[in-house]
Parts: sequence; structure tokens; C-alpha cells
Amino acid sequence: MDVLAGWWDDYFWGAVVVGKVFFCSLALMIIFGLLGAMAKLSNSRVAQKIAGAYTVVFRGTPEILVVLLLYFGSAVVLTAIAQVFNPEIKFVDVPPFWAGTIAISIIVGSYATETFRGAFLGVHPGSIEAARALGMSDLQTFVYVRIPEMWRLALPPFGNHMLSLVKDTALISIIGLNETMFVAKQAITVTGKPFTMYIVVGAIYLGFSTVVTLFVMGAEKFGERTTVGAK
Amino acid sequence: MSFDLQLIIESLPVMLMGIGITFKLLVISGVLGLLLAICLLLMRISGLWYLNIPAQIYIYVFRGTPILVQIFIVYYGLPQFESVRESIFWPILREPTGCAILALSLNTGAYVSEILRGGVLGVDKGVLEAGSALGMSAHQKFIYITTPIATRLALPAYSNDVISLLKSTALASTITIADMTGIARTIVADTYAPYEIFISLAVVYMIFTFGLQKLFGIIEGYLGQYTKRE
Amino acid sequence: MKLPIFKKLAFGLASVLTIGMVSSVSAETLRVGMECTYAPFNYKTADGELAGYDVDVANGVGRIIGADLEFVCQEWDGMIPALLANKFDLIIASMSITEKRMKKIDFSGPYRFSTGRMLGPKSKEMDLFDDAGNPIPDNFKGLRVGLERATTYSNWFEEILPGADVVLYDGSEPLYLDLQNGRVDLIMTNPMKAHLKFLSKPDGAGFEFKGPTVDEVKYFGIGVGIGMRQGEDDLKGRLNTALKELINSGELEKYALKIFPFKLHKDEWGL
Repeated sequence: MDVLAGWWDDYFWGAVVVGKVFFCSLALMIIFGLLGAMAKLSNSRVAQKIAGAYTVVFRGTPEILVVLLLYFGSAVVLTAIAQVFNPEIKFVDVPPFWAGTIAISIIVGSYATETFRGAFLGVHPGSIEAARALGMSDLQTFVYVRIPEMWRLALPPFGNHMLSLVKDTALISIIGLNETMFVAKQAITVTGKPFTMYIVVGAIYLGFSTVVTLFVMGAEKFGERTTVGAK
Repeated sequence: MSFDLQLIIESLPVMLMGIGITFKLLVISGVLGLLLAICLLLMRISGLWYLNIPAQIYIYVFRGTPILVQIFIVYYGLPQFESVRESIFWPILREPTGCAILALSLNTGAYVSEILRGGVLGVDKGVLEAGSALGMSAHQKFIYITTPIATRLALPAYSNDVISLLKSTALASTITIADMTGIARTIVADTYAPYEIFISLAVVYMIFTFGLQKLFGIIEGYLGQYTKRE
Repeated sequence: MKLPIFKKLAFGLASVLTIGMVSSVSAETLRVGMECTYAPFNYKTADGELAGYDVDVANGVGRIIGADLEFVCQEWDGMIPALLANKFDLIIASMSITEKRMKKIDFSGPYRFSTGRMLGPKSKEMDLFDDAGNPIPDNFKGLRVGLERATTYSNWFEEILPGADVVLYDGSEPLYLDLQNGRVDLIMTNPMKAHLKFLSKPDGAGFEFKGPTVDEVKYFGIGVGIGMRQGEDDLKGRLNTALKELINSGELEKYALKIFPFKLHKDEWGL
């Protein structure tokens, strides 16, 4: 076990990176998912087709490919876009943290789109009618009726999406992000003990997964607090 | 950003040579994973604590850690031990393909067992009561009632998992396997043209996924042929 | 309803671009790409510090030309694509100056020898080279060879021994690990690293060099150099001047002596 001495703090910082990626990608994933769901539920055929393409493309492509593509391709695409605005700019670069975070948000977002869509469809029509009868505007209906019912329906699969985000972070190590897998690779170069190093990585991720799972369980309890007869 | 079509046309056949390996990983891991999942499922619903708890722990660990980590532990980690290298399993563990199949099966087994359990729990109690009323034993009920209904219920979620498994096979490239992704990475390293290669590779995977979805759609239609009233 | 969300998204994208733009406009900061897992040339110590011959060279050169350095870790097989995609400005990662690579990127003058040698278990008799130093293809049959992707070694093998049973790895460490546990029978790698990190350690006790050192210029180039994008002649000039200074002042030799009992360059490179 003393082979790990000196590496604990590196692992700690690697875990911090995992946490940062998680929170950033969580926010982005919710944004992408909501946008996609609303596009699919909207009346615009164009929006539906675009959202449809979004889900098909990113549910059918391996995550590792999306990460690699975004890492290499993003700089070129963004530079081209930026040069339209300001020809002085020689390049715009997306560091591995963002390339990876955006990549996994887009991927899990495509699953979240389906989850949110199903959840929105699951809102009782009766509740919407009641809101109309009370004279609520569209915005009020959305905020006070749709969202509260919808997030409770979406919670179990959404919990799975959060877990996917945690685990997909390991893939970003392949483009050089200094999270736990990368720390392990460096440690192995010096210590030559791959099993030990990777087990630590596994334990760290298991820790994160546990925290997320507990959070989801807590959120479910919170959601049910006003429901009579909840199991 | 110049898009080198010529490169894609030249590289696609090379990458498709890896499709055999991708397919092999998918099918073998899928089958082994399913068998493992059934075992885990039976352990989970057995009601016996000494079967239930270990199964739950196994599922918790394998669903809570990234598949990449699991692959690395099996391939790079296990040979650290002398005992592994001298065991009878070494011929399998020596081969990267063997390690990939092992890791993928262990992983998908955990996920699929939860999916199957969801299917089993979804079987209507009324139907089971009808079985009891007809004098069926617990075994008979499980085989003739629960299994067909649970299979049909679990199928959509299972098809999602098979597609996930397909995407996970791409990770085999990180342990030297020359599957489609592995070949693609070698081509990229030689030609320094990442986007043409990776985009065309992504298209190949999407086509593969589409095919799988269609296949499962047919199976679902066939199994659900008597429930079409909905 | 869509507006607030779009605003958030637009803000997010704008900040990413701004961060990128800021990093593009700052004064002489050069980003250096390296593997970070290739001891003893570029690796991370337990303290999280980068160390090794390449790191020393980078720091030395940066000091002389007056630039701040930012190190970026990159997997080997993506090193050149990443340079071309502007992920960093220089490659100081023990990358050999080969004709193939020169088609896509530019190199400074060399700062280290580049050679390859094969390693295999002592227990296996391998007669791989004839007296003239040419490999005997037939004797490679039945042997599984481990090589790192996109290296001079894998290139050499591809051209000279196309029929060999080759397994490609993402990094060099897994190569040694798999040689030790018998997954591959033979590897080809940097002999200096092999000697220092492997053969002289207990783990490498059962292994030895198989065959002579290979240093065909066609495959290994004249040495390893600093890689950069094409068209940066000004930078190249400054780097070459800096390297020559390091060689002539004896500093380059000092870096080598930190790790090996010999220097890793030819004095004539300083002229």
C-alpha cells in the first residue's frame, strides 16, 4: 500500500476534476435535454426533425468517438466561426476539459431528450385543464404545473443519466484531462502496479456513484413528501 | 477545413475489416452477459439473503464504475499477480480479446439483470394468481407465466443495453484490439486526419445501431403479436 | 420559455469562445505537448511535477528564448493531429525527425539520438538478425511483437517486416507490462529507456536485448527534435539557436547525465 504514498493527493485532485466535469456537464445536459424535448414536442416540423437527428446521431455513436471528434474538430470549427467575426484571431482552442464536458453532455443529453419528452407527455391532462380553468397563462402553467409533475416522473431515468455522466468522465482521460484515470496512468509509469492504481480509480468512481444515487433517493423522497400513500 | 473524401474512400474498407471483431465482441459478450444476468436475477428474486446480498453488491459495483476502468483492471491489472499468470485462465486473459469479452460480459450482466428484474416485477399479479388458481407450482408459474411476459416487458430496455454494449466495444481499442475504432485510430495516427476518419467511423456505428434497432423492433412485434389491441 | 434557456446557452458558448480567444491573444506563452507517461524523458512524479530529459530541454529552451511555457499532456498517437489542431505550439516529446512526419510538420534541429532495439525474454532463443545487421523475416514467425502506435518503431516494422504479428499499444508503459507478463514475446523500443527503466531493475531481470541497435535514418531520422507547425520559420530559428546554446554550453549534457552515464547528443549538432 505504500506504493500509493505520494499519489493520494494527485488522486484527490483528479477526483476534484471529476466533480467539476460532473457539475458542468450536468447543467449542459439538462439544457440540451430540455431543448431537445421541447423541440420534439413543438409544432415545428423542422425542430422535430433536427431533434430527431440529434437523438439518432448521438445515441448511435460510441462516446469515445464523440470525445475524440470534439477534441480534434472543435478547434477547427470554432476558429472558422470566430474568424468570421474577427479575422485577427489566429485560433480558438477548446481545452480538453470543455471538449470532454461538452461531448458527454451532448451524448447524455440525447438520452435525456427522450426522458424529458416522455415525462412531459406524462403530465396529467387534467392538471393542465385545471390550470387553464384557473386562468393561468402558458408560462405559469409551465412553471407551476408542468415542471413539478415532470421532474418527478423523469427522476428515476434521470438518475441513470447522472450516473452515465459520472462514468463517462473516465473517457475524457483519453484526451489528456488530468482526472483519476490519467493520474493512474502516470502513477503506473513510476510504480508499475496497474491493478492497485486502477482499483483506486474504481473506488473513487464508486464513491461518486454512491453519492449521486443517494441524492436521487433523497430527491424522490422530497418529491413524494406531499403524496398520500407513497411507498 | 478541407474534407478529404479520397481518404475516406480509401480508409473505409480498412476500418470495416474490424467489423468482424466488433461483431464477435458484441455477440459473445451479449450472450455471456445475458446468462450471467439470468443467474443474478434468480439470485436476486430467490428471497435467500445469502444469494440476494452478494448479487446486489455485484450489481452495485459493476454499475457504479466506468466500463473503461473495468476493462483496464482486467487487462492491465490482473497480470500484476503471479497467481493469475500461472492459472488456467491465463490463455484467455493473455489475449486482449479474451479480456475485453470478460470485462464487457461482467458489465452488461449487471445492467441486464436489473432490466430483467424490472420485467419480472412488471408481471401483473392477477395473472400469477390465475396460475395459482389453476394449480401451477411456483416453478411452473415462473417458467410458463413470468418468463414470457417479463421478456416482452424487458425487451425495449434490453435493446437499449445491447446498443450500449455495441458502443462499449469501441473501448476495446484501448487495449490493443484492432476493432473498427482501433483501426481508425491507427489510420488517424498515420494520416493525421482525425475528423474525416472519425466521422465516417461514427456513420458506420450509426448504421450498425440502426440495424440493431430494426432487428429488435421485429422481435418486439413478434413477441407482442397477441397484445396489439392497445 | 425558450428565451431564458437560449440565453443561458448563448452565454455558455460565448464564455467558452472568450476563454479560447483570451488564450490566443496572450504574449509569448508557448504550449508544449508531451506524453507525460514516457519515463525517463517526460513523465510526472508523485508530487505532480513534470520531469525528464524532454522537460529539461523545454525549460532550457523556453528560458533562452524568453517564453513562458505551458505543458499539455497528450496521448502519443494523437500528438501530431493535436499540434495541427492548435492544441499546443510545440512538441517536445522525444519525437524523431522523420521524412514522413516532415511532410506535415516542421522540426528544429535534433537534441537527442533516436534508435530502436528489440527486447525479449532471456528464456527464449531468438536469432533475429544476421551478421550484417539485417533482420531475418522467417525467424519472426510465431512471435508476437508489441509496438507503440505511430512510432518510429511501428513504422520500421511496417516497412521492413510487414508479415509480423504486431500488436499496437497506446503508450509505452503497457508495452513493458505486457512483455513482462508474457502477452507479447518481443517489443521494440528506445534502448536507453529500456536499459534504465527495465533491464537494470529486478522486473527486467529475465529479459535482454535481442539484436543490434537499429538506427536507419530513413526510419529513425537524424534524432529527436522539437516539432512545430509548418511555416513558423522565425520560431524555428529561435529554437535552433537556443538548442545550439544548450549544446555548446554543456547544459544539454547535464540534463543527460542526470539520468544516464553518457550524453544523448552529438556535439556536432551545436555547430
